[in-house]
Amino acid sequence: MHQEISAAKRTGDTPPAIRPGEGAPFRDYALGAPYDEMFDESGGVRAPYRELYTRLIALPLEELYRRQMACEQSFLHQGITFTVYGDDRATERIIPTDLLPRIITAKEWAHIERGLKQRILALNLFLKDIYHDALIIRDGVVPRDLVYGAPNFRREMRGVSVPRDAYVSVCGSDIIRREDGAFVVLEDNLRVPSGVSYMLANREVVRRAFPSMFQATHVRPIEQYPQELLATLRALAPPHRENPRIVLLTPGSFNSAYYEHTFLARAMGIELVEGRDLLVHDNFVYMRTTSGLSRVDVIYRRIDDDFIDPLIFRSDSILGVPGVFNVYRAGNVVIANALGNGVADDKAVYAYVPRIIKYYLDEDAILPNVETFLCREPRMLSHVIGNLDTLVVKAVGESGGYGMLVGPHATQKERVAFRDRVLAKPKNYIAQPTISLSTAPCFVGTGVEARHVDLRPFILHATETRLVPGALTRVALRRGSLVVNSSQGGGSKDTWVQVI
Amino acid sequence: MLSRVADSLYWMSRYMERAEHALRLLSVRLDTMVEDSEEAAQQSWLRLVAALGARTAATPVLASDATRFIAFDRFNRSSVLSSISSARDNARAVREQISSEMWEHLNRLYLNLMATSYEAVWAGQASSYFRSLIDGLFMFQGITHSTMRHGEGWHFIELGRYIERAQLMSRLLDVHFGEMPVDAPEGLQKPRYFDWISLLKQCTAFEAYCKVYTARIEPNRIADFLVFDPEFPHALRFGVNRIHGVIEQIGTGAPPERRAACLRLSGRLKANLEYGQIEELLNGGFDAFLADLQHQCGHIHLAVHNAYIAYGVDGALQV
Repeated sequence: MHQEISAAKRTGDTPPAIRPGEGAPFRDYALGAPYDEMFDESGGVRAPYRELYTRLIALPLEELYRRQMACEQSFLHQGITFTVYGDDRATERIIPTDLLPRIITAKEWAHIERGLKQRILALNLFLKDIYHDALIIRDGVVPRDLVYGAPNFRREMRGVSVPRDAYVSVCGSDIIRREDGAFVVLEDNLRVPSGVSYMLANREVVRRAFPSMFQATHVRPIEQYPQELLATLRALAPPHRENPRIVLLTPGSFNSAYYEHTFLARAMGIELVEGRDLLVHDNFVYMRTTSGLSRVDVIYRRIDDDFIDPLIFRSDSILGVPGVFNVYRAGNVVIANALGNGVADDKAVYAYVPRIIKYYLDEDAILPNVETFLCREPRMLSHVIGNLDTLVVKAVGESGGYGMLVGPHATQKERVAFRDRVLAKPKNYIAQPTISLSTAPCFVGTGVEARHVDLRPFILHATETRLVPGALTRVALRRGSLVVNSSQGGGSKDTWVQVI
Repeated sequence: MLSRVADSLYWMSRYMERAEHALRLLSVRLDTMVEDSEEAAQQSWLRLVAALGARTAATPVLASDATRFIAFDRFNRSSVLSSISSARDNARAVREQISSEMWEHLNRLYLNLMATSYEAVWAGQASSYFRSLIDGLFMFQGITHSTMRHGEGWHFIELGRYIERAQLMSRLLDVHFGEMPVDAPEGLQKPRYFDWISLLKQCTAFEAYCKVYTARIEPNRIADFLVFDPEFPHALRFGVNRIHGVIEQIGTGAPPERRAACLRLSGRLKANLEYGQIEELLNGGFDAFLADLQHQCGHIHLAVHNAYIAYGVDGALQV
């Protein structure tokens, strides 16, 4: 048990307990039903946040504001931006970073780490199985049509062997904290997860903004992520190639994650290539250099399956490399993540992950799922239709917060429209209870207020599974909002994992 | 290095040079404008617009309109704003290949320019604003010089700068020394004393010229200096020497026959300038000489593109 300081006691104030005094930044901090990362139910400051709390009440708001501006300016100058396409010209915006760190204790982290390692291990076994013998389907654990009917199942991957059976080598899972404080997995991103560069960029600016607090909190370092990613990719390279050439394949500078692609390529010291830089000749992949064609061994791709090879997938794609799939199938190039992973982070398959873990590892899931209703099952469908005002309904094949209805926040009209879509194609939808994500303190200009957050740690897997002790904490910056996606007005926070 | 990267570095550099050139012409013009009679001012603006190869429909040319057009017009593809935007787009496409210092500096220049309105600049001290931009561009060169490896990428940056400079300079010399270019604005007359001084200043050559020839301003000597001086960075001969030097350094791993095509062209141009004489040019033929130089630079550009950027697959395998 942590020993907690009650803010009220400390200042001799009367309830509401979390008012440490007039004019202090926490004047408008509201504690509700959701778990709050900083304050317990009685308004006491949780142990890991004491340092932050003490400093915040001593820091003039103007100073906090100045540091916040300095941080945004630094992001803008570095070009850590995403592009919004408007009427006459494209404008670049930064993804807002909140300076106040989110803190995770060593014990919490150890639990998350064990849970995610278990999950990635099981999902890799699942992917290998469904693209080979499909024993899990034969044994009736996962319904046949759920897998083969999933929009992201790639029948082209049947029987293709993948180096070290590592289908998922780079993963970013979304974790949230329930009202009772338990961490649960909301989503697995097994295709092209992004955000790791923001994790690293946030660390840099926040450490600069609060150097002494950083030191006092005993935070584990995360700067080694690029080296670990490179080691993971190297471990996938063909063993007989002495100096394997590893490249990062980007859709190009118009992509919203382009900053991340350039950052990772630079930090790893590998070539950043676009589809037009690569070509296939005699069933090998080459890149075009000023000295001639040079062979490529491993492609860390940041392009979706759909666009990677116009000969196999979408023929209108100009981002990919014609013929690359054939080279991949022949084992002459490694692509990470593997193609076809989307079937395992499908929102309907998600509901089966605890059973998938049980099936392959004979273990119970360390990190539970969010309760999920599959609209494909008639009984659950009627439950969903009857409770649209309390549920979150999601389209199965979508990501990034698109194709989603947040029942309690939707208008009656939106709910009706969505109901028709669900009824027309029930297999396409799942529903989950509205979970109030936990809240964490955020600087909002006039003070510090509670905002909803989630947590995205990044997992690497080749011969072994590794996590850097950190994560991207995404924030719903609008008061009361539960949507943390950057495409939908979300921001992010630095995440401090404590040493002890 | 990746062909696409080499190409982007090359173009980044060309656009930066283009922006710097336009800014130099513009700021010298704005500084000297106050001493002009109305007619002289009109002439100088016409000459400047012609030198930049920009087409503006409006004659007579108003100083404010010309400034807006040359510096801030989004739709003028060779305006300073367009050039810096294009340079930055190219830099962004090779973000991981250039140093963070280079990128952040260029990005700041761009953001600063985007946040500046023409009206505010014109109402304030326009020429000092443009000079501060030139300083920013100079600083970019310095940062590039001292933070980037002087490897192949750097050579492509140098190549871009000097090819662009040779073309811009020959165009500038043309509107001063040549018969009027066919597409010159109507009513443009031969330059006068004051224009020669402006020309030197626009090439940052006034002081360097005086050191060689003292302050005797004579068109022949100016021409000699700006074409044949081997040591002055804006002189054509200096630039052509650099072009040849750089071409010797790039694509060293490429098949010899592809390199040979580039080396032959740049070597020939170099010889032209090494053994040419200003007397020949001034007795007629300056136009033809400048036209040929522009032509040759175009050839070199194409040869480099075909040899290192967009070559065929056959014979290019180098596992």
